[in-house]
Amino acid sequence: MKNSKKILCLALAVVMLACAFVSCGNQGKKSGDSYTANNTTFVIGLSGPLTGGASQYGIAVENAAKLAVEEINANGGLFGIQFSLISYDDQHDPSRVATGYANMLEQGMQVSLGCVTSGPCAEFKALSKEDNVFFITPSGSNDEIPSESNGYQMCFADGNQGKAAALYVNENFAGKTIGVLYTSGDNYSEGIYNQFTENLNSSVTVVSASFTEGATDFSSQINTLKNCEFIFLPIYYTPASQFMIQANGAENNMKVYYGCDGLDGIDAIEGFDINSIPQEVSYLSHFNSAATEGASGEFVKKYTTKYGEAPSQFAAGAYDCVYAIYEAMKAIGEDKLSVTMSASDLCDLLTAQFDGDFTFSGATGTDMKWNRAETGYGYVEKAATKYVVKTAD
Amino acid sequence: MEFISILINGLSLGGVYALIALGYTMVYGIAKMLNFAHGDIIMVGGYTIYVFFTMTGHPLLAIAAACVMCVVLGVVMEKLAYKPLRGASPLAVLITAIGVSYLLQSVAQMLYGSAPKTVIIANFGVVTVGSFSISIASLLILAASALIMTVLTLFIKFSKVGRAMIAVSEDRGAAQLMGVNVNGIITVTFLIGSFLAAVAGAFYLLKYPSISNTMGSMPGIKAFTAAVIGGIGSIPGAMLGGLLLGVIECLFNAFPAIAPYTDAIEFALLILLLLVRPNGILGKKRREKV
Repeated sequence: MKNSKKILCLALAVVMLACAFVSCGNQGKKSGDSYTANNTTFVIGLSGPLTGGASQYGIAVENAAKLAVEEINANGGLFGIQFSLISYDDQHDPSRVATGYANMLEQGMQVSLGCVTSGPCAEFKALSKEDNVFFITPSGSNDEIPSESNGYQMCFADGNQGKAAALYVNENFAGKTIGVLYTSGDNYSEGIYNQFTENLNSSVTVVSASFTEGATDFSSQINTLKNCEFIFLPIYYTPASQFMIQANGAENNMKVYYGCDGLDGIDAIEGFDINSIPQEVSYLSHFNSAATEGASGEFVKKYTTKYGEAPSQFAAGAYDCVYAIYEAMKAIGEDKLSVTMSASDLCDLLTAQFDGDFTFSGATGTDMKWNRAETGYGYVEKAATKYVVKTAD
Repeated sequence: MEFISILINGLSLGGVYALIALGYTMVYGIAKMLNFAHGDIIMVGGYTIYVFFTMTGHPLLAIAAACVMCVVLGVVMEKLAYKPLRGASPLAVLITAIGVSYLLQSVAQMLYGSAPKTVIIANFGVVTVGSFSISIASLLILAASALIMTVLTLFIKFSKVGRAMIAVSEDRGAAQLMGVNVNGIITVTFLIGSFLAAVAGAFYLLKYPSISNTMGSMPGIKAFTAAVIGGIGSIPGAMLGGLLLGVIECLFNAFPAIAPYTDAIEFALLILLLLVRPNGILGKKRREKV
């Protein structure tokens, strides 16, 4: 009895080991070269929440990416070769990303838009690094996402919003006093705040106030900031709405509230009427969905015609991602590209472009650069625009 | 002059804390238990106000509905969860109270989700006197809570039920022998406590117009702290503790550098006070009977 158990264990161990090697061997051999051998188009992959609570982001990104691919193909593709888009529904769940990623590789994915949301995108980053697959995410804004040599962002990284906001303030409030309200002890808010103050010109005077997460009483902060006309709010929309309501019930000279992407959604809080706030409410964004002119305006028009609603900043980012890949591949040149080339080979060519002099102008900005030499990350450099949710009364 | 406006703000917040603390302290004094679900009664009141206010648009009607809802909930909670445990160990009662608290929070989350909602029942604006301004809501809350506390004190001192409450809190056995219906008195205590929590919830919403399923926990803990500072079981102690805590909170909040740490400072003060006066400011030293 004892012996038979031992033998069984041994046999099981051997089977397990064998399995491990088999799967290992498969991955090593198949990755890259053979999957793309039968490609007849350049294949772009996309992973995002197409169902579930975050689906509005994923659907917007997929719609916009589709729009871009269709346009490129209608114009003859790249050097006569068409593009195709494959997408996978990761339901904003990091544990689903690996399956979807393998799935898309098998379908011949050569380049990717990564994931739509930050959590899954962190997973995607690790997987794509192993196979050296180029990705540029339209909306995964976590600071660490473009840390590997194959990853880039089209949206501002969380931390870089502080810098972008500082540039805006330097330009518009030189020699003046502005107020800042941030959440102390919160990575997102404090990160933006620190970078904001670091990049601010010395001519701008800052009055700072902070609160801890879960705070309900903002009277002290309102009192501190009451004489500032411009208030920078690198916080989330829930405390921001409370701050605005309470400031409304106290005497103050505030005229403009300016936040980061954390304020995106402030006009959709149940029970909160944004029009009851007399101040201007705006936030830093790379895209203005009310644009009527320029590349942004054109994109808004096309997207609205096709899908019947105005595009979000996520959609605009995705549209630009596809075009940035297209432009970069165009810059690489016809002779170096082939429709059956492996993801890894294409990744090397694309990163050389993005890390080099390549600049891109699209719906979310002009003359964008990805300055990896300076930061070590694939962060995008571009000017921020101000998205006005509500104008001052 | 700014000090006066801070003081009024602090007293009005303290009034809210005191109303909640009264619920804690009365239940502790009479039923000898800590009702940790007391804070969540505020939350239930908040949601009731939200539902009725969005339905009718009438703030006073919504507050009245919240009072009825909270009173019913408090009494039902006592009958279903706590009465069967009347003779059980204090730990069993305590853990049941915590369980009831989580139950209420979870039900609220199932019904209304976890995203905070904004409820502006009324906006009174500010009154400016000379160089400083005071919110009218604060003044109203201060006056209303002072009135409620006076009425409660008179009720307990002079009414038959009130005197029975004192009797039960002093010696339950003896009170029972004298013909006091102890179970009835405990139910009345929960009823009054829940009513006060509903009113406090309405005041709290007036000050901070946001509701979520966990909105009751912080004011609940603050009020419990206030009750302990004042001396748990003592009714004037709860009032004093609440007012003190409110003023301290607003005072520290007035300094931008320490404002983010106000909560930590308040609880640290509680520890310090308990080191000096283990029974709280007005708490009576109880002789342990052997």
